Amino acid sequence: MENTTLAHHLLLAGLLFVIGLTGVLVRRNLLVVYMCLELMLTAATLALVAFSRFNQTMDGAVFVFFIITVAAAEVAVGLALIVALFRQQKTVQSNELNTLCD
Amino acid sequence: MPDGLFIFFAALTLGAASLLVLSRNAVTSAMGMILTLVGVAADFFLLDAYFLGVLQVLVYAGAVMVLFLFIIMLLSDSGESSTAYPWKQATLGLAIFFFLAAGVFWLFLWSGALPHTAAGATPPELSANPGEFTTSAKSFGRLLYTKYLLPLQISGFLLLVALVGVVSLSKEPKNEVP
Amino acid sequence: MDPIQSLHWILFLPLVSATCIAFFLRRQGSIAAWLSTATAFSIAGLALNLLLTTDGKIGWHHDLAKLGEISLGFGYLLDANARLMLFVVTFVAAWIHLFSIGYMQEDEARGRFFGGLSIFMFSILGIVLADNLLMTFIFWELVGFSSYMLIAHYFDKDFAAAASKKAFITNRVGDLGFILGIAFCLHHYGTLNFEALASVSTFQGVPIIVGLLLMCGFLGKSAQFPLHVWLTDAMAGPTPVSALIHAATMVAAGVYFMARVSFLLAPEVLQWMAVSGAGMAALAGLCALAQTDIKKSLAYSTLAHLGIMGCALGLGHPELAVLHMAMHAFFKATLFLGAGSVIHGCHHEQDMLKMGGLLKKMPITAATFIAATLSNCAVPFFAGWYSKDAIIEAAWHQHHYAIFTFLALAALATCIYSGRMLRLVFLGQPQSKNAEQAHESPWTMTTPIIILGLGYAIAAGFAADAMIPASSRQVIEKPLQEMAFHLSAPSTWVGIFALTFGLLGSLKFYAIFPGRDSLQVFSPQTYKLLEYRYFDHAYGWYINHIQRRLAEFIAFLDLLVINGLAVRWIAGGFTAAIGQLTSRTFHRGQARGYALWITLGTLLIIWFLLAR
Repeated sequence: MENTTLAHHLLLAGLLFVIGLTGVLVRRNLLVVYMCLELMLTAATLALVAFSRFNQTMDGAVFVFFIITVAAAEVAVGLALIVALFRQQKTVQSNELNTLCD
Repeated sequence: MPDGLFIFFAALTLGAASLLVLSRNAVTSAMGMILTLVGVAADFFLLDAYFLGVLQVLVYAGAVMVLFLFIIMLLSDSGESSTAYPWKQATLGLAIFFFLAAGVFWLFLWSGALPHTAAGATPPELSANPGEFTTSAKSFGRLLYTKYLLPLQISGFLLLVALVGVVSLSKEPKNEVP
Repeated sequence: MDPIQSLHWILFLPLVSATCIAFFLRRQGSIAAWLSTATAFSIAGLALNLLLTTDGKIGWHHDLAKLGEISLGFGYLLDANARLMLFVVTFVAAWIHLFSIGYMQEDEARGRFFGGLSIFMFSILGIVLADNLLMTFIFWELVGFSSYMLIAHYFDKDFAAAASKKAFITNRVGDLGFILGIAFCLHHYGTLNFEALASVSTFQGVPIIVGLLLMCGFLGKSAQFPLHVWLTDAMAGPTPVSALIHAATMVAAGVYFMARVSFLLAPEVLQWMAVSGAGMAALAGLCALAQTDIKKSLAYSTLAHLGIMGCALGLGHPELAVLHMAMHAFFKATLFLGAGSVIHGCHHEQDMLKMGGLLKKMPITAATFIAATLSNCAVPFFAGWYSKDAIIEAAWHQHHYAIFTFLALAALATCIYSGRMLRLVFLGQPQSKNAEQAHESPWTMTTPIIILGLGYAIAAGFAADAMIPASSRQVIEKPLQEMAFHLSAPSTWVGIFALTFGLLGSLKFYAIFPGRDSLQVFSPQTYKLLEYRYFDHAYGWYINHIQRRLAEFIAFLDLLVINGLAVRWIAGGFTAAIGQLTSRTFHRGQARGYALWITLGTLLIIWFLLAR
């Protein structure tokens, strides 16, 4: 572990975040978009843990705990929303969900 | 040069994440997501955050992804895979990815904003100082119930609100519009 | 319990009771009634305890907010006046609560009524205890609200709804001046605390404008000229409310407040208060003669007494005003409760001409009503005599002969309308079926009348020393001594003349035509003159012809300039242009498009942060 620096972990977190962001931007399936959003959150937690470890403080790690809690709640509500949406519109493709525009 | 385990898990994580974004089948995407989460959990282990790693696997890879898979099965929507592969989308996505990734590389490796510090001494298993980084779950508990007591309460309340919200959202509407 | 603690209890118990009733007991009327009454009695006990055991000034203050040099806070200031007022309010209110239980027995909305009484108690006690102008104002408005709520108790009746609106709006007019006065005080003295104001104003002098503006609040709340029009209409509320709020406590709060800030009143303001108070006392006393509704007649009587109190303030005797307020609270509450008992007994008949002969049918009510009436007429050794004659005496001694004449006229008018009321209601023969079938009221209604009427209206006179507790003595001793000293003074002659001629004369006069008003028979023009609707007509004319025109003009301006020019043309045109532009680029209905823009915006911010 002596050779792995803070920058390496942050790089991994950043790349994960960028992959997630790209997914959010290009994918049409709302479920996949949602997974990509979760990926971005996870990337953020990774960065927090890295900071926490390299600064020798506990706060970042505790914060990750809260992020996981919030993410779990968010997933539950978000998926319920998607299901409700699907019930009404019969689709989860984001490009077909443009009722407000017409 | 970082050590082997880190390289292995980083590659696994990034590869699985790419699978998540690139696959046209939602179930495959979900599998990629699980693998990514396991990779991140492994990275947590490498960072000596064992408790968080276990939590990540339990909550994310366990509970959340099961929920995802369940919803995917429920909706069983395969609209995307029936059409031709969207090359235009993919190219746009790749362009965005490379642009942003270049930004990340610049920021973390070459801009000099970060010090190239290696990890400090191996963290103690338990420390008398509540703020110090330790490997045990006990120090989480100690901080959660002292410094972060109010956020803890609030997040508990948030979970309750989410629970109620989900119940009310997933109730069958009484007079559904055909 | 230390005094501050019991003050907390006194102030917040009614709030707790009101909250409980509002949230849990709206349907359980009888539980609400007993809860509210128990609260009222316990705070009356606490207040009595405070009155007997404490002395001197007690202060407590807690800063809520500090804005620069100015601190806005919450606090109590319990001095001799406040102690007396506290006792009067809680004691009278407790018995009126008990009376209401009987009176409102058959009402559907008892929960709301008793909740309203509790919130009223909270508000009025806030005014009594407040140690600064802002807190006074807040509770002042709460009192206005609870008065509105209780007048509108029978809100499905048009006249009650209209009366509550009238009371509320008229009070707003006064309160506008009041809050301007507070703002001016803050600007001029830099503090709102009564004690600080008292010390600052003695060496800085007092501008006339402060007194004038603060007086506006008093004019509205205490129904002084020219904002007195609401009080008679406020009788549309249930009778206990009229007794508690519109006779004994709330309208007197204005007098109490003026006494509390008397150091802020310039001589010119005092002059005005004395003259207008005396004038109103005489006018309202005469107007009471032309009312057939027993409650309205009593309302004019209240107006007359408020005028006398205002006059006492104006003459520079705030302690006399507070003393008269205390005495008046007791006998007027008794009169109103007696009237309520009569109305209840006569199956909700309020027309005095249709009553008569109730002396035999309702002996307890009649006895107490007569005692309170004698006190109202200032018969020697009854409660009213101590304070009212002292005020008349004060006017004579300060050589304000015009004021003296007005007050003497008011005293005479008081005797006449009192005699008329006694004659029409209790003597003679019953004039309607309802009066024939009248019955005595239940114990919950008679007990309060006996306690308030016999126990105080009379006893206060005989044993003022015993009844008025030691701590208030310093306020009251002076007028009492003056009274004893000037027993052979002009006020005595005024009193004797008024009593013999007014009371006895009117008893005879109104016996001439049973079932009709003698004055109306003899001189219909005078009667019509005294029916007194001029101010209502004048205000109606003003609102219809001036206010409404102005409002229409402003509405037109609003339509033309704000709505037409600013909103439709400038803002509307701008957004339309932007909308045309952006609907083609940004708003295309694709969630991914929005996400892209958000990403670009975030990147821009990151770039900006890094580039710094």
